Amino acid sequence: MNASFPCGQQKRFVTRRDFLWELGGGLGGVALAALVNEAQAATSPLAPKAGHHPAKARAVIQIFCPGGLSHVDSWDWKPELAARTGKPFDTTGTVQFFASKPGNCQGSYWPFRQHGQCGRWISDLFPKFAACVDDVAFIHSMQSRSALHGPAMFMANSGFILPGFPSMGAWVTYGLGSESENLPAFVVLPDPRGLPPGGVINWGAGFLPAVHQGTPLNTDLELPPIADLFPPKNFAGITPAGEASGRNFLQTLNRQHAAARVGNTELDARIAAYELAARMQLSAPEVTDLRGESAATKQLYTLADEDIGPFGRQCLLARRLVERGVRFVQIFCGAENTGAKKIRPNWDSHEDLVRDHGYWGRVLDTGAAALLHDLKACGLLDSTLVICTSEFGRQPGAQGKGRDHNAGAFTAWLAGGGIKDGTSYGTTDELGSKAEAHPAYSYDLHATALHLLGVDHERLSFYHNGVPRRLTDVHGHVIREILA
Amino acid sequence: MNWKSCSIGLLLVMFSAVVHAAVKAAEPQRHWAYQPVVRPALPTVRQSTWPRNELDRFILAKLEAKGLVPSPEADPRTLIRRLYFDLLGLPPSPEEVAAFERACSPVGNRPSAVGNLVDRLLASPRYGERWARHWLDIAHYADTHGFERDQLRPNAWRYRDYVIASLNADQPYDQFLREQIAGDILALNSKPETQSSKLIAATGFLAAGPWDFVGQIETKSDVLKRAARADDLDDMVTQVLTASMGVTINCARCHDHKLDPISQREYYGLWAVFAGVKRGDRELDPAAAARRETERKQLQTRLREVTSELARLTGEGLDLADMVGGGNGRGTGTKGAGLDLRTGNVVKDKLGYHRDIQLNRLQEPEWPDANAPKFVQWLFVPDGKAPVPVASQTTVTNLPPTSGHAWDAIRNGALNAQVSTRLDGVDFATNGHSVLGLHANAGITFNLAEIRKASGFAKLRFTAVLGFGAAASAASSRADFSVFAGRELLFQKLKLRKDESVRVDVALPDAAATLTLVATDGGDGIGSDLLFLGDARLSLTVEAQPLAAADRARIETLRAEEKQLATALAAKAEGEKVYAVTSSEPPVVRLLRRGNPEDAQEEVAPAVLACVKHAPADFTRAKTEGERRLALAEWITHPANPLTRRVLVNRLWHHHFGVGLVDTPSDFGKGGGMPSHPELLDWLAEEFLARGWSVKAMHRLICTSAVYRQRSSTFQSRDVRATPGLDIGMSSYRDSANRLLWRQHPRRLDAESTRDAVLAVSGKLNLAAGGPGYRDFKYTEAYAPIYNYVTAETPDQWRRSIYRFVVRTTPHTFLTTLDCPNPANLTPARTATTTALQALALSNNEFILQQAQHLATRIENETDSREAAIRRAFALTFQRDATAAELQAATPLVAEQGLFALCRMLINANEFVYLD
Repeated sequence: MNASFPCGQQKRFVTRRDFLWELGGGLGGVALAALVNEAQAATSPLAPKAGHHPAKARAVIQIFCPGGLSHVDSWDWKPELAARTGKPFDTTGTVQFFASKPGNCQGSYWPFRQHGQCGRWISDLFPKFAACVDDVAFIHSMQSRSALHGPAMFMANSGFILPGFPSMGAWVTYGLGSESENLPAFVVLPDPRGLPPGGVINWGAGFLPAVHQGTPLNTDLELPPIADLFPPKNFAGITPAGEASGRNFLQTLNRQHAAARVGNTELDARIAAYELAARMQLSAPEVTDLRGESAATKQLYTLADEDIGPFGRQCLLARRLVERGVRFVQIFCGAENTGAKKIRPNWDSHEDLVRDHGYWGRVLDTGAAALLHDLKACGLLDSTLVICTSEFGRQPGAQGKGRDHNAGAFTAWLAGGGIKDGTSYGTTDELGSKAEAHPAYSYDLHATALHLLGVDHERLSFYHNGVPRRLTDVHGHVIREILA
Repeated sequence: MNWKSCSIGLLLVMFSAVVHAAVKAAEPQRHWAYQPVVRPALPTVRQSTWPRNELDRFILAKLEAKGLVPSPEADPRTLIRRLYFDLLGLPPSPEEVAAFERACSPVGNRPSAVGNLVDRLLASPRYGERWARHWLDIAHYADTHGFERDQLRPNAWRYRDYVIASLNADQPYDQFLREQIAGDILALNSKPETQSSKLIAATGFLAAGPWDFVGQIETKSDVLKRAARADDLDDMVTQVLTASMGVTINCARCHDHKLDPISQREYYGLWAVFAGVKRGDRELDPAAAARRETERKQLQTRLREVTSELARLTGEGLDLADMVGGGNGRGTGTKGAGLDLRTGNVVKDKLGYHRDIQLNRLQEPEWPDANAPKFVQWLFVPDGKAPVPVASQTTVTNLPPTSGHAWDAIRNGALNAQVSTRLDGVDFATNGHSVLGLHANAGITFNLAEIRKASGFAKLRFTAVLGFGAAASAASSRADFSVFAGRELLFQKLKLRKDESVRVDVALPDAAATLTLVATDGGDGIGSDLLFLGDARLSLTVEAQPLAAADRARIETLRAEEKQLATALAAKAEGEKVYAVTSSEPPVVRLLRRGNPEDAQEEVAPAVLACVKHAPADFTRAKTEGERRLALAEWITHPANPLTRRVLVNRLWHHHFGVGLVDTPSDFGKGGGMPSHPELLDWLAEEFLARGWSVKAMHRLICTSAVYRQRSSTFQSRDVRATPGLDIGMSSYRDSANRLLWRQHPRRLDAESTRDAVLAVSGKLNLAAGGPGYRDFKYTEAYAPIYNYVTAETPDQWRRSIYRFVVRTTPHTFLTTLDCPNPANLTPARTATTTALQALALSNNEFILQQAQHLATRIENETDSREAAIRRAFALTFQRDATAAELQAATPLVAEQGLFALCRMLINANEFVYLD
């Protein structure tokens, strides 16, 4: 099947009816096709929905760098900070960061250079990505409402520093439904090292119906790509033919049961769900099977490299998912502070920034640049919004050889799907310690992303315990300066 | 952050409220829910034979007014399934169904049969397990903290058990609320002690929600700490007020409530009530704790006497910690000095984490003083995988594998970050004692030949007390400790817990040239592995000493007593605790402008809401923070409080019908729904009071009513024809949402009921009640603990879902897919979605397949033919006989793929998860 899935050319069944015939087992035939379609249209919360206005982007790929990516060592050029390196950062002695008192000013550990037509200053930490800056818009004035990983992660993903609120991907599928019938609408690619700070609820549905939660795609080749996609190996006796006849029996029972309960559309929806599940069993393994990708593509994503390869694979999978109609893909570049080998398992570089950002920089640089190149080459970049962010930035004042948390400033960047190329928005102060011009929060980033998807962030709401909740709480402005 | 939240959003609610609330905006205090509950007159109805009790008349009157008719009564099998799942969360057995069908025949016996069944179910201990789930949803209960460092709350379950027990005992609801808000204060005046334990466990309610360790404890920033504490108090206030009174109080955190007459000042008045409350583990029985402490002190005193006398009789030993400090074992070493594992250098400063350390390499100590005794021979960090050298030409293989990381140094004194030097009541940092700090992973080898030579001791004995110097609040990390003489393993304690200590007492073989002590990480990383040895000594063995026979006998006696005392002390280590509230002196509470903790305004005293005028709350007599809570609890449970009773009877209605009379069960404000039957709501609230706040009495009233017992189907053409004048088609048309209840609502089993039902039919359900929750995950301690779910086939994993150990950051994938809510949220009503992922989970999840297999085995044991087996499978899963068509369809499936395939599909069927 892979041969017919070259980049950007997803194989499409001519009609749903064709699909069902090809599927073989199950009920087969026209009647079922009609039933599935009707039940879905009537009751599926994932049925595609029109937005509030025409969309520029059809899908989102969000790269999340947990731990706090240092903006002053990466995308936010601060020559004054470099000039003051070694001089005291806090002359009053009153400043208290998350875990430390500030040391001296510390300029970027990597030199900055200008790149692209736009002349953007990018540090040498990102040599490959630097070649893409003409496709990218930077927001340099991002801020968070917490300097703690847990709350800041929740804020970046759900707009609230408390757990329990729906993540951005959940809101998007709640608002727009799914374009893919055979894959989940919101797919998450966690770092192979583990979960990010705050855990699974970073892609949770909060109080939205559970159907909107992110589905983690297993990147371990030994395991099925989606939990419970197939029976576990110790139930090897279950054969494909047996599955089909079993399902046939089940659906016969279910239809008899539903026939005696006319008008209960939930029963029809559940019958349809079993057919959709069977389709997902075909589609999901196809997504993660990279054999059909060219050697050049694999080289582009540096899949063979022990350190970079896993993230490259996530980025490639993100492209393949979007290609197949998945609405929202979230990639985590880093995990929680768990049992790492040599380095911090995420960007939280308290004690040795050169070591840890040096490691993660290569990973992010290669994967993000490859993704942008590839999406562009496939013609998908125009309809796919790529976002790269962290939960907060790091301090310009040193913490030994590292840097402490900084909720006052960080940088996020966006590309593709309706974003103005080679631009930037907002600034930090001369040292990079606080947002100065046009301070922005996750509310504004989310409002902008929703806008590009055709959704008005103030109209996307859900009643919960007395309040019609929104992704952007009661805040958020679309950042029109970075729109094409 | 939540400050600034709500304002614009609430304008939208305001707008929608104007649309459907029949309340004048100018008179917010006239909102229906704040008015006193008044017992309404019973309405008159035309179809006077339909009502089975008074509440039916309210339903029927509305239906008749709209020209609608109620549905006929459901058949006995549907009724018993509905009642079992509703009241117990479990399916009936086929035998119970058959017995009930017999009891219902003839039709005239049916009312008493239903009444008897309801009574029997309400008396079952399974009832409390089912209904505790609803309450714990409102309390957003879980067994871990949540947030980044999602640590265990190993004692939280006692609150869960309190809820189950209270429901089973039909504890009056007002008392149930009072205990959960101020049980610790009620306990002060209660006797006997069992009652006091129960009352303290009840306050687990206030502590049930998430709590951020990093923001509350770890961060050094006071700003971040204040923000975390503000969220903490908001969580408590919101939980208490929404659970008990359906007030969306949190909307007034940053500004006056936009819809309801609640000022921001009143919100902070409620903060002041809880300002002294912190979350933490608390002794259930303070009196017992005090008794235990007295006994411990007595035991410890005696133990010290015994060990001192032993030391005198056997000769004072040589101190190993002193040798680590460069001494001769008799106090000449440097206190606090350490040996750097990497270099062997003597260090005074505290060191930190060592990741890139060379493993399994012997390092000699580098003594600055060339004349220092050479008693410490080698240092090393073991990996435990390859053979580990403990001395030259000497390797050992019986060490557990380690992470290869290390911390600080080996010290003559406390380690970096060590918080305690006490073990078994002895503080080893005091005079006459010693502390040898040996954090995992580290090993130290002493040169016995040199020690023998210098001391003149020939036959040596090694004694020490081993334990952790970590904070009691630290999670239950493990570490191992091993002792080698040469390559011979003399002593090993694996997976030592933080709250354990061990006495080591081993004789060293004469031929042994070295003594090696090794601390390893217990397989869960080195976090908090602050192992240390108290009084690590080498002494002359008794046998080798020229002692009088009397002394020798005395030593034997003392040794025996020492052992007994140690065992007795260990048994008294810890009392029963619950994760609940701890009281502290309440700080002054100030109104926070826009909810910003850094923008404090005028002081606010404890107060309640003015919009509800049933009774004043008296805080003037509240001398302690706990008495503030008691005053609030009295105000909430005051018989005249118009909200508390209405909210509770509506919650019961919600669970019995799938939707409440007010369809926003935790929001009785103007943004919430209007009651579909306001008079019925008040009648129920009045009955509730008249029946002594008995929840079970309300269940009985509702479950035996005609409205509850209706069929759920929308279309019943045969009945329509059989009953002239009934036109259900019209009902379906005029009230398709069924707000007026012309039929029962069909419902799908929630996640926990689905899992429990699968276990019930497979025959594996383990009804062991209460106690610590079952853990269906592998727990790895780390900076942020890691939870990996596993599907083990053991009976403890087959307990009811209410006993699951609930992890906040890593929800259970299978149950979450089935709509189990996240315990970060207060969940008054669950959502039910239908997705392909649910179909996959129920088809392929390992748990489901295992149980399908057990079900198949069970049936094979109970039947002797294929047809009987198929019939039994339908009877167990659907509680009915298979039809001829079903038999025909199932036969080839079973013939080709076995009974397992049939069982798996029946569990997946709509009929299994839907109730009519």
